[in-house]
This record gives sequence, structure tokens and C-alpha cells, in this order.
Amino acid sequence: MPRLCDLQQAFSKSIIEGNHAAVTAAMAADGSALRSIALYRRLIRNNFVQVLKITYPVLHRLVGDGYFGVLARGYLKHHPSTSGDLFLYGRHLPALLQRLDAPPLLVALARLEWACHEVYQAADSAPLSPDQLHAMLSADPSRITLQFHQTARFLSFPFPVHRVWLALQADVSPDAALDLPLPEEQTGLIVARSGGAVQVIPLAWLDYRLLEALSRGATVASIERLARDAESGFDFTRLMTTLLNVQAIAGISVKEDLWHTATVS
Amino acid sequence: MSVQHPAPIPAQAGIGLRAHHFREILDAPPPVAWMETHPENYFGEGGAPLRILERIRACYPLSFHGVGLSLGSTDPIDQVHLHKLKALFDRFEPAFVSEHLSWCSVSGRFFNDLLPLPYTEESLDHVCARIDEVQTFLKRPMLIENITRYLTWQDSPIPESSFMAETVKRSGCGILLDLNNVYVNAVNFGLDPLEFLGAIPVEAVQEIHLAGFDRFGSMLIDTHGQPVYPEVWSLYEWAIHHFGPRPTLIEWDTNLPPLSVLVEQAAQADAILGGCHAEAV
Repeated sequence: MPRLCDLQQAFSKSIIEGNHAAVTAAMAADGSALRSIALYRRLIRNNFVQVLKITYPVLHRLVGDGYFGVLARGYLKHHPSTSGDLFLYGRHLPALLQRLDAPPLLVALARLEWACHEVYQAADSAPLSPDQLHAMLSADPSRITLQFHQTARFLSFPFPVHRVWLALQADVSPDAALDLPLPEEQTGLIVARSGGAVQVIPLAWLDYRLLEALSRGATVASIERLARDAESGFDFTRLMTTLLNVQAIAGISVKEDLWHTATVS
Repeated sequence: MSVQHPAPIPAQAGIGLRAHHFREILDAPPPVAWMETHPENYFGEGGAPLRILERIRACYPLSFHGVGLSLGSTDPIDQVHLHKLKALFDRFEPAFVSEHLSWCSVSGRFFNDLLPLPYTEESLDHVCARIDEVQTFLKRPMLIENITRYLTWQDSPIPESSFMAETVKRSGCGILLDLNNVYVNAVNFGLDPLEFLGAIPVEAVQEIHLAGFDRFGSMLIDTHGQPVYPEVWSLYEWAIHHFGPRPTLIEWDTNLPPLSVLVEQAAQADAILGGCHAEAV
């Protein structure tokens, strides 16, 4: 009889590689071994398919059970589970779809759904306090940078993928969703959380570029300059209001000088 | 920070808490005595699941039933997983915490399914040491659940019920007795369920699970996707008279019905529990 460790390794080899010799030798010799292994393979595989369906409900709805099942089984081969916590299990699906040269709509939907999945359970965000707001308004904008909550993500796409995403939330058939016009159009989105629910908010392309630069550490003053250069009369207050409304700002940093930074968060 | 002190779970029926039913439960809390959920579903840092669980915990005693610790694995226990469990238990103060007498990972690869151990002295030593490690870290006793199996190891000389009894004796854990699993194993392998139940130490059984199964060819599969079958209800009546009234959970994980169906099943369990209470009086 193999030791427990060897037996577990043998089972694993059988499930993953289809190498059944060692594990069937450790099982009752009643002719049922291969049938049992096949059953376990099926149950295990189905569990992982189900996890991906829950993580990517819109993608699943769009492509249907057949294609999604093939995709999920392929995913399992490339990215087996490494944790008893399945929350992160599907995180590589957008990259895998990209590598497989899947249609751009599928890659885009997967990216958007993964962001929604992460935002749903990200650490709770508190609105800026009056002190923080005061510090932001009274400091020199050339010294201010913003920090963003995990509950807010900025994503860009070469077409308005959110229209398909939104249509498939409602009772729209996948065929009708595929008929939606998807012009080539630079599209920026905020994925954020409001009252526990995930929201996908489309942004004007300039707004997206400015917010994305802020999220990468650009100062408020540099963003204001960029905005004015791109569009005279740009309403910077409107942009900040958008951020405050979705509680995206976690804190602000005021650069004291070139070497020191004071953080208000 | 805990939301409140642990509320004891009465010897009445509860239901499994699933996200599918969150809205219904919050809108009209159902007449059940307690709820049980998988801690892994609340491992996120924030968001609606934790807030909803706080609201539900304020109304019902809670039990956490883990599925990902891989107690029987020969890999080291995943310390990240264990720390997340402890943080959650300390915050929500559940009356029970439980896991399965099974393994689900080896060499860092997880199958995320409940796989059977061979019932040997080596497994017994291994599992008891692991339960001890977990209980010591969590600073609370665990319940260990019997699983369904779809294979038979050639060298598994200790009967499952004796293995569980010895595990209880050595580790100080309790037993979460899943009667659907007992029934499914009995049918699939031609065993006597009453013989199994008769060898389980009465005082160790602190919770009972009831669920439904599906047929796959000649095998019964523990899918938790159907109502409790009449044969399992009969086994439950026998078990309640043998072990005495115990907190009883209606478990339903796939093919989820409206909440009212779970509540009806819980009422059916309560009727059996009530009959036993009445006889005792």
C-alpha cells in the first residue's frame, strides 16, 4: 500500500495526466476503478466550469454553454487551481483569451467582468473626510496627487464594450446583444461600487485619459493643464465631482518639496 | 472585531445561506432557527457579502462550514487560508465551525472537491495532528463531517465510523453527521447505514446535515441539488431518536429553488425534531 502522500500524488496524476496505473493499483480490484476516476474527473471539472460561469456570467451568456465549457476546460489545463479559496481562480481568463486570439469582444468582456468581480469584494471605501477635502482644495495643485480606492478601476477599450455588457444584464438575447453596433471608438470606463452593487460608468475619452493619469500619480495641476490644452473651458470641477460621487478617492498626498511627501488619507 | 457573542444554535432546523437568496432573506427574514454558510465565500476584504452577513448574523445564530482547508492533504496547511478563517470566525463568532474529513490538494494543486482518505493508522495520525493544529490556531473546537466517496481504497482497514470515532477521541473535535452522505455511500457500496450510525459516538454528534442527491448511471451523487429524499428522511427520524435532537441543516448548493422550498424542508425537519422533543417530555 502506498503511503498517504504517494496515494494522493497518484490520484493527482490520474486526474491531471490521465496516468491511472498507480492510483488504480491502490483501489479495490472490483473493476470499478476507472469508472470511479472518470466520475471524479467529471465532478472536479464541472466544479471549475461552474466557478468560471459565476465569475464571468455575461461572457457565459453570450457564448453559451458549449463554447464556454470548452473554454473553461482549456483554462483549467493552463491555470489549475492553487488555493482552497476560489475567488481568484478565474483571474487569468482575459489573458488566456488574448493569447488564444479570441474575438476582441470576448477579451474585452472578460477584462470588464474580472474588474467587476474584484471590485465587488474589494476593501470598503470611505468618502473623503471634510479635512481631506479642505486639504485638497487649499493646497497648491502642483503638489497634489490622489490615491484611489480598490473599489474603483479605470479601464479602456477600443470599442464600447459596456453596451454589450449592459444589454446582457437585462433580458436581451445573446443574438440581439451581438447585433448592437460596436463602432471603433476609444472607450473609457470606471468600474466602481455603490451601495454594494457594481456600476460600470462610461466616461468621455478625455475624462478617462485624465483620470487614468491621476490614478498613475500625475499631479492635479498637470491634469488641469492637460485638460485645458485638449479642450478650452474644460470643467474640472465636473470631473472631480464624478470621482467624489463614486467614492473613488481614498486620500490625497501633498508634496512638501522634492523629497518629502505628506499624506492625508 | 466580533459583531456579538456567539449565539448558541438550538436543536432546530436551519438552512444554508447562499448569495442567490440574500435579497429575499433581507426583505423578509424566514422562520428558521439558524443559518450556515461557507466561510470561503466571505474571504473578500469588503463589499456586499460581508455587510449582508453582518445583517443576517444580527438576526440568526450562524455556523461556518469550510470546504477549502484540505484537512487530509499531505501538503502543509495553507496558512493564508487558515488566517482568513480565523479573522472571519473572530469577527462573526459562529456557534459552530466545521470542515470535511477529506483532502482536496497535493503538491500545491487544488482539486476543490472532497476526496476520500484511506482509513488507515497513517491517515488517522495525520488527520488528528492536522485537526489539532487547526483547533489550536483557531482557539476553538471544530466539527468534522463524513463525506460521500465514489471509490474504494484497497487498503482502508478501519471502518469509516470507527475512524471518525477515533478522530473525535484523539483530537477532541465533534462530528457533523451528514445523513445524505451516509445514505449515498450505503447505496453505492451496499453498506448498512444503521451499522455506520450505530458506531458513531452519540455525544460527539453536534450537528446534522440533510440534502438531496442525483442519480448518475447506477451511482447516487451528492449534488445538494434536490429535496431531501424520503429514504433520508427515514434515516433522519431514526438518527434523531438515536442521537437525540440536534441542530439540523437543510443543505442546498446547486439547482437552487426559491427560499420558500428550503424553509418548507426545514419545517419538515422541525416537525421530526418536535416529535422527538415531545416523546422526551
